[in-house]
Amino acid sequence: MPDLEEQLAALATAIEWPRTPELKVVLPIHGGRALRARWGKGWRLPQSRWALAAAAVLLIVATLLAYTPTRNAIADWVNVHTVFHRTETPLPSPTPLPSGRPGEYLNLGTAVTLDEARHSGIEWKILLPASLGQPDAVYVRLPPGGPSGGAVSLVYGERSDIKPSGLTGVSVLVTEARGRVNEQYFQKTLGPDVTIEQVTVDGHSGYWISGRPHNFVFTAADGTPYFDTLRLATNTLVFDDGGTVVRIEGDLSKEQAIQIARSIS
Amino acid sequence: MEGRPADDSELITRAQRGDSAAYEEIVQRYQQVAFRTAYVIAGSAADAEDAAQEGFVKAYRALHRFRAGAELRPWLLRIVANEARNRVRSSGRRHRLELRLTEGFRPGDAAPSPEAVAVALDERKRLLAMVNALSEEDRLVIASRYFLELSGDETAAALGIPEGTVKSRLSRALARLRARVEEAANA
Repeated sequence: MPDLEEQLAALATAIEWPRTPELKVVLPIHGGRALRARWGKGWRLPQSRWALAAAAVLLIVATLLAYTPTRNAIADWVNVHTVFHRTETPLPSPTPLPSGRPGEYLNLGTAVTLDEARHSGIEWKILLPASLGQPDAVYVRLPPGGPSGGAVSLVYGERSDIKPSGLTGVSVLVTEARGRVNEQYFQKTLGPDVTIEQVTVDGHSGYWISGRPHNFVFTAADGTPYFDTLRLATNTLVFDDGGTVVRIEGDLSKEQAIQIARSIS
Repeated sequence: MEGRPADDSELITRAQRGDSAAYEEIVQRYQQVAFRTAYVIAGSAADAEDAAQEGFVKAYRALHRFRAGAELRPWLLRIVANEARNRVRSSGRRHRLELRLTEGFRPGDAAPSPEAVAVALDERKRLLAMVNALSEEDRLVIASRYFLELSGDETAAALGIPEGTVKSRLSRALARLRARVEEAANA
């Protein structure tokens, strides 16, 4: 039976917190007094009775004017005839998926072949998930831009049963780096709308992060924290595989992600 | 955010010079811990949201008073936590904090069988229920230290008490919780 304090610390990962609202602070452009913050609720009702009354009158007038027969009747009454034109702004055409190499716009580092990645100076055997087949693109990030020990990203385009990201066309992104997951660090940086669950992948401990996580921090090979961006901001499986931190991002169910992780060799 | 992030002191210096992007980064970095701290104090997500929002606005206005070299996180938490306490006090209502386990949470660490997983899960639920049942003072200090994972000085800032008091309060809270756990085990 673990010590009470250890049990309490273990509970930290299991607490269901309310969703953290996204705070967008609008800072003053001139001077230093006009700060206001927008966060979730945004609009607030006017506090004064007169302001409330004025708002109610405006609402009634707007409602009457919005109704065509009423508007015409008012126009006849005041002998003013106005032609209202309804202009329709055409909807923007869907943005085509970026052409070129998959993941090119995800800022994953230098595009290389798998073989080049293996000889780029990284010091671990690149882990490949067999269930996804060969990656459609491979990128390497070395220090100073990447973590100490470097990082390798494997990009998978269209795959059956996996919905690709609408913006990037990437179905699955696998990122590997030397280091270890530091539970205390990364949970604080994931961002709002995220739930975390401890999982085990073939004996390796990991975390299933569902929601829209944005940031991820892990302890790099030199022992320092490395802050990274979860490029797809989708469900993510993270686990330690013998000193390599593996992240699998994609619009995946937990079972799909674990299946991909188990096919890694 | 990629590579080495700007450290807090750099962000503060930039924000003090009017760099709005720097303050936005501070907000982004600390909004979660600020909101959760406010939630632990106020016991309501809506009050926590208001407190965190107002806290960040007040912190911005007070940036010129931020002491160079001081730690940013406890300073922010102190402001947000004060705001949460003020809201509870002024509204005259106090929501009782009821922490729960995440739905679907499974202790995944080397549990050998589904039965063992179920037992471990049950134990965690029971422990959390015991924490919920503690006095507010005990619950707050335990939640701050273990669930929010605040350091000693951050807990002191959030609870508005000296760091030495955090230690003694935590020690007493743990003793009371331990007694309840043992009592339940012997029942």
